[in-house]
Amino acid sequence: MLDFLQSLAKWLESTSLGTGIRTTGIYPFVQTLHFTGLSLWLGTNVIVDLRLLGVGNQRQTAAELSRALWAWNWIAFALAVLGGFLLFSATSTLYVANPAFQFKLGLLVPLALIWHLVVQRRTETWGREADAPAVAKISALIEMLLWLCVVSAAVEIPSY
Amino acid sequence: MWESLQQAGWVETVSDTGWLYAIVSIAHYFTLFIFIGTFALLDLRILGIADRRQTIAQLAEQLLPWNWIVFALAMLSGVVLFATAAVDYVPLGLFWLKMLIILLAMLASILVQIGMRKWGESPTIPRSAKLIALVSLVLWVGAILAAVDISYITGVG
Repeated sequence: MLDFLQSLAKWLESTSLGTGIRTTGIYPFVQTLHFTGLSLWLGTNVIVDLRLLGVGNQRQTAAELSRALWAWNWIAFALAVLGGFLLFSATSTLYVANPAFQFKLGLLVPLALIWHLVVQRRTETWGREADAPAVAKISALIEMLLWLCVVSAAVEIPSY
Repeated sequence: MWESLQQAGWVETVSDTGWLYAIVSIAHYFTLFIFIGTFALLDLRILGIADRRQTIAQLAEQLLPWNWIVFALAMLSGVVLFATAAVDYVPLGLFWLKMLIILLAMLASILVQIGMRKWGESPTIPRSAKLIALVSLVLWVGAILAAVDISYITGVG
């Protein structure tokens, strides 16, 4: 499996896309795109999570807040994924072999993403009242912890 | 002066203890991502392109003042990270440029927050509001770019 991924990685980083990002000065801009996208993604997630936990003004329900932020939540995700893919394409073989990256993209991101989808869906009902049920609060807390794990793995990538 | 900071007991402990340094790094990244993400969203709302189902005031009420607490944590962890390699950072023009951009971004964000009290509940947003929100947004993204450049160009951090 790893061999297959490695040969895919080798091909990707040899493309003009991968080579261009790796060799020209565009790399910091690509990283900025990834970080900006993920910042908006985390921000829109955390605002709703904290609201479920009872932080933030009670004038709006968590469900209303979640709906209001839905579009930019997923625009942010798209930007983060685009930036991430471009970063990956520059030095794909290094990433594929990196344990922190494997952990991040292979386990943590899918886990956190699925959890996010569940929370976002459930918030429609959980977040109808000003005060959300206990299961909602625990789920919101878990979501924040999962994204913290994702960022932790990412920060550790250069160490391997 | 910077050597003595870098060699201070607590700073060396952070530098030499892998998991401790990792925690400070992770805290710095996580808190700054959340702070910039939430403030950028507020700027986009003022610009009228995000979250139009809420008034500006309604959005602001959801993220203030905790996002500034998050920012304070980002700054605190940043100071610790700086201290661990102070001698390397101080001569870098790029590092001081990043500090300048952050200062300007904070100023712009404070102006946004002060201005919000006037245009937070109104249906139309004045052009001056959109301008300051755009400046705030550009500066925070600029801060990210400056930070990324330090590592990319100089190899420090």
